[in-house]
Amino acid sequence: MSRGRGAPAEQRIRDAAPASPPGRDTAPAVGTRGEAAPWRRAVEGARVALVREAFEDASWSFLFRGESRYAATTKPGRKSSHYETPVGPVGGGAGHADEPGRKSSHYETPVGPVVVAGPVIKAPVWTWEVPLYFWFGGIAAGSSFVAVACEVAGDQRSARVARLVALGAIAPGAPLLIADLGRPGRFLNMLRIFKPRSPMSMGAWCLAAFSTTLSGAVGADLLGRARERRALTGATALLGTYLGSYTGALLASTAVPLWSRSRSFLGPVFVCTAVATGASATRLALAATGTRRDHPTRTALGAVETGAMAAELILSLVNERRLGPLGDAMAVGRPGRQFRFAKSATTAGLALRLARRAGHASSVAFLVSGLVFRYAWVGAGKASARDDEAVARTARPA
Amino acid sequence: MKLDIAIRDGSPEARRMGFFTDTTVCIGCKACEVACKQWNDLPADGSSFRSGGSYDHTGELSASTWRHVRFVETLSPPEAPLPTPLAGVAREDGSGFDLPLIEIAAGEVSLDRWVFMSDVCKHCTDAGCLDACPTGALIKTEFETIIVQPDVCNGCGYCIPSCPFGVIDRDPYDGRAAKCTLCYDRLQDGMEPACAKSCPTDSIQFGPLDELVPRAQARVRELHARGLDGAYLYGAGDAEQDAIAGGLGAFFLLTEPPERFGLPARASSPAREHGAVATAAGLAAAAAGLAGVVASVLWSHRRAAR
Repeated sequence: MSRGRGAPAEQRIRDAAPASPPGRDTAPAVGTRGEAAPWRRAVEGARVALVREAFEDASWSFLFRGESRYAATTKPGRKSSHYETPVGPVGGGAGHADEPGRKSSHYETPVGPVVVAGPVIKAPVWTWEVPLYFWFGGIAAGSSFVAVACEVAGDQRSARVARLVALGAIAPGAPLLIADLGRPGRFLNMLRIFKPRSPMSMGAWCLAAFSTTLSGAVGADLLGRARERRALTGATALLGTYLGSYTGALLASTAVPLWSRSRSFLGPVFVCTAVATGASATRLALAATGTRRDHPTRTALGAVETGAMAAELILSLVNERRLGPLGDAMAVGRPGRQFRFAKSATTAGLALRLARRAGHASSVAFLVSGLVFRYAWVGAGKASARDDEAVARTARPA
Repeated sequence: MKLDIAIRDGSPEARRMGFFTDTTVCIGCKACEVACKQWNDLPADGSSFRSGGSYDHTGELSASTWRHVRFVETLSPPEAPLPTPLAGVAREDGSGFDLPLIEIAAGEVSLDRWVFMSDVCKHCTDAGCLDACPTGALIKTEFETIIVQPDVCNGCGYCIPSCPFGVIDRDPYDGRAAKCTLCYDRLQDGMEPACAKSCPTDSIQFGPLDELVPRAQARVRELHARGLDGAYLYGAGDAEQDAIAGGLGAFFLLTEPPERFGLPARASSPAREHGAVATAAGLAAAAAGLAGVVASVLWSHRRAAR
């Protein structure tokens, strides 16, 4: 129940307690935080005083003699016919209610709407660092795509700019993620194991590998080693496909209804934003470094960011419609405002680009809406997790 | 699949241990909560009496509360339409729902009865937290229970939304995730967990899972015979494809729909259920994006060259 405001509860209780009288310790026993009882014996193999060797329950207690007959029904050696038919909730099991001795089950046929006494699941505790990292990671992945495209097209200068944009975007990634940890000093534990099942583990490895190959590509470029540069740029883009998409998969692989129900859409939506923001950032960087307006790469990036952002908008709208009432979390409160703002900014950017009077306004609009979309998705997920009815409905498909 | 991430430390005869929590005999005394806090030296929560109108002032499981006696307060007459505060409005911070205190005080409805459920970590067969943990801090023990190793956890918080039961939480002051260990330290010394030891009505029963499940099924038959038709087991005795999170190590005997106890009707490990689909969709989109960017830049250069 502690929510992290002010001093911990046990500290407040300790502070409020009167001083112990001399010779006695009356300090309140209010516990210590974080450590479970030690799991290793202080003395290996030592016996515990008065311990019973066998596990037991309290069925010997006088409380149960008449009321509950556990002891009678579970005496070893006594075969009970009770054991034969397993009784339990079988979701969707047709004909199950016909079972003898089982007239009805609230579990299978709830009458009317069930009052959900939450909380059912817990909302994520991630703070502002995580969506900001999603944005930076997306830009890095998107510009790594641009870098390899420029390499293929033989545009060395643009490829160099794109690589530097990616490097600048990925640089804050690890610090942001470390800042969000409960124990930042232990960030290296992320690379303690390699766990394909956990998107968080794979993401940490991908971030490390992406940063390494990207730095290698930039270094190879500085040293003028063309073959290594091309190979490392290609490897970075391949890793970028995971870096730009795993963030969506990471959110979708949770019990949060909004995220898990959007599982086929979250990755693609995040990829669209990544490609668009990466292209926008590179396009702005190219303009700032004096690439002329009609340079083919700049033109191509304008088309890429427009196409990707349009795809993002369409996917978002389709997903929202598909979600139905579950999507309410995306419409109300702060996440709702953020979604509306991001959609308006995207639409404005698209309209300006189609009207051919964009300048840099479209790129800036796409970058901003990409950032706001990330915050909105994370915030809406938290709201969705707190919506006990939505969680219950997700777990009980009609 | 079983014990694939288990530690093996010289207990070859260890069996899967679990809890059977029988809500029909729970009297809501909270001895289990107190025993858990005492044994595991967990800090006080600073709870206030009757917060939000419910007599349940523990509220929810958290990093410092590993047993929580949930109070399911039912109103009388149950057929009457429920007053609005109970009928739907969850509290804003998601900590439950408010009782219609004014209506109760006015005598329009009466607090008919309580059902209590001592909630705890379910120690799932397919544990979502275990699948999500990127550091390997969460492990499956030789008793097939799930524990957090506090010396490894770095507090990334991914286990929290990955638990379909809302059990595990990150301590805001300590920074690490924590939850019920099924008293791993006591198990290693051949003792039953503190909560089960303290339970005065045997609502919490502890033992090897393969012995607990038949015992619980016998109890359900007995309750049915006595006329309590709604009794059923939550998390045990299901067919494999319907098992809740692959089967629960700590399962429950309930008499009302699971939602009344804040439990989902179905659950699975989210990483197993959604991970592959979500990753494949994302990677496919990313591959398309990469191809699109390359094609677009190439095409633009070709056109300029012409």
